[in-house]
Amino acid sequence: MYELPAHPAYDALFNPTEEHRMLREMVADFAAREVGPQAEEYDRKAHLNRALFNQVGELGLLGITVPEELGGAGLDAVAAVIVHEELSKFDPGFCLAYLAHSMLFVNNFLHCSNDEQKARFLGKTISGEWVGGMGMTEPDHGTDVLGMTTTAVLDGDHYVLNGTKTYITNGIEGDIFCVYAKTGGKISAFVVEATAPGFSKSAHIPKMGMRASSMSELIFDNCRVPVSNLLGEEGSGLTHMMRNLEIERLALAAMSTGIALRCVHEMVTYAHDRKAFGQSINRFGQIQRYIGESYASTEAARCLVYNVARAVAPDIQNRIGSDAAKLFAAPIGKQVADACMQVLGGAGYCDEYQIERLFRDAKLLEIGGGTIESHQKNLTKDLTRSICR
Amino acid sequence: MIIGVCLKQVPASDSRIKIDGSGAGVDASDLKMEINPYDEFALEEALKLKDAKVAKKVIVLTVGGSDSEQRIRDALARGADDAVRLDDAAFAGSDSLGIARILAAAAQKEGVGLILAGKQAIDDDNSQVPAMVAELLGWPQVTVVDKLELDGGSFKAWRQSGGGVRDVVTGSLPAVISADKGMNTPRYAKLRGIMMAKRKKIPVYDAAALGLDPASVGAAGAKVTQVNWSEPPARPPGRILSGEVPSMVKELVTLLRDEAKVL
Ligand SMILES: Cc1cc2nc3c(=O)[nH]c(=O)nc-3n(C[C@H](O)[C@H](O)[C@H](O)COP(=O)(O)OP(=O)(O)OC[C@H]3O[C@@H](n4cnc5c(N)ncnc54)[C@H](O)[C@@H]3O)c2cc1C
Repeated sequence: MYELPAHPAYDALFNPTEEHRMLREMVADFAAREVGPQAEEYDRKAHLNRALFNQVGELGLLGITVPEELGGAGLDAVAAVIVHEELSKFDPGFCLAYLAHSMLFVNNFLHCSNDEQKARFLGKTISGEWVGGMGMTEPDHGTDVLGMTTTAVLDGDHYVLNGTKTYITNGIEGDIFCVYAKTGGKISAFVVEATAPGFSKSAHIPKMGMRASSMSELIFDNCRVPVSNLLGEEGSGLTHMMRNLEIERLALAAMSTGIALRCVHEMVTYAHDRKAFGQSINRFGQIQRYIGESYASTEAARCLVYNVARAVAPDIQNRIGSDAAKLFAAPIGKQVADACMQVLGGAGYCDEYQIERLFRDAKLLEIGGGTIESHQKNLTKDLTRSICR
Repeated sequence: MIIGVCLKQVPASDSRIKIDGSGAGVDASDLKMEINPYDEFALEEALKLKDAKVAKKVIVLTVGGSDSEQRIRDALARGADDAVRLDDAAFAGSDSLGIARILAAAAQKEGVGLILAGKQAIDDDNSQVPAMVAELLGWPQVTVVDKLELDGGSFKAWRQSGGGVRDVVTGSLPAVISADKGMNTPRYAKLRGIMMAKRKKIPVYDAAALGLDPASVGAAGAKVTQVNWSEPPARPPGRILSGEVPSMVKELVTLLRDEAKVL
């Protein structure tokens, strides 16, 4: 649903294999039938639809990048992009919870855990029995993530964590989190179960959009985490974090293109049906500009996102590509949602057409998973390093 | 028992159909295809019987070119065990009887003990194939079924027979059952199913493999030929009634009964 006209040759980028196409059709069908109808309700309720989340688990989407022998689907970054794009046509807020679970927790954990840890945690999170999340941001350190002050100190067979993480998606429902903390000045990654002694959560932090996912602080007050929950080596957290950010950024960029696709569709149909001054409003040049530019920028963003997704994998590093994809795509979702609302006029501003919700949701993509300014900063650094050696 | 599910691809129900240059067919060049919705009910019923261990295996039977493989894979992804694609240059131009001959031969070759099919395909809306397959095989058949129970070698099928009357039909297997809407809710493919479907081989059987005389199928064997297609007439504009509500209601009821003939 909400597809735009596409030449079969476009499949080489958007549906490169038969599985990608089938995955897209399956998720699109599920999203139209199950995700769309509940979106408005959970935007109002402002928490995760747990039953829907479980359904996504049953479909096998929560372990999308996990190898088949470990119970996942063994799919790639393009597949992750497809799922996020299709879900976001209907409910970006729910999709954000999906992202926090399947990318920020599951995919991240997959690449830095040992076999024993996988055996303990992977099954429950792939099935959806447990909701996962990731804690990086702190009240005083967002973009400046290396400045984090949460600490972990070894005490016998436990690490003792102290500090606070904030803006953590799935904070309220989360059973398990991947948490970054400093061990002797270097960043390390830990798995923290919500039942760990000394661990607590704040109340839900209300927000403008993405309301179908919850957000809270994670508070570590002498929180005791078994040594066996350290991910990788002490001090290796930064590498894990940076590596996972690439697929996360692509997934966020795909959420933006999903919103944009839906909005282009809505504005084209509305402008065709809506009459003013005795004719369809799509006869007015100003409306045509919204439609034409929205379509072209949406497709441009998709091309960049899917092209980069082909070159992001556990063994391929591509920070330049993933930063560029999110930097370019994030504002497109917001701009196209804005254009859509303008084309719909008062109807766009009212709840019924759901565009106001997509508009609120779209803004997050310029902030979460790295602000657009941080992408500009990273790109300048990486490009300079690569070009001015 | 092995259940054979007859599955056909049709243009997606929201497509805009264009007539091709010959005037006797559909221009399929940029049509989005999907599994015939009634066949999805048939498939789901078969999968449920397999889940309940009543059936051992579900095999999809499709008459179609390689472009129908995507739909076959969708069915495999949902849980069908196997599929065969029935394709031969000699099959081109088959009428319903030709298609039924091909499907009946395939069902026999695969040792099928129950055939489930959609009550009709939403492209041609002929509703003939399942009945013809049953006739060719000499099996009992029940059409437009919305509930089915199997018990050992016998079946019990419920169907809506118009005017709010429900028929309950019993019979013995092997049989042909055609599925109506309401029989079940088709499942989504699971990701694992999609991954498994990709690895499955879909054998292609031609007339020789099915032991069919090429003259009995395709254009050669067709008793029906489609000569001309035309666009439906443009819909007449709607009518807006005016006046007091009670009189409008009366007028509306009269119009619905006498003009639209829906009451
Ligand atoms: C809905 C939502 C969900 C989130 N989910 C999670 C989650 O699950 N886990 C998690 O760890 N975090 C999460 N976050 C946090 C998110 O990653 C941070 O908000 C983001 O990284 C920005 O950090 P900040 O908010 O502290 O802003 P700051 O870093 O304080 O930035 C403020 C402003 O200063 C700019 N700025 C900062 N540094 C520079 C610089 N060097 N050069 C130029 N400009 C600069 C920024 O671009 C921005 O415009 C979430 C945030 C939101 C809103």
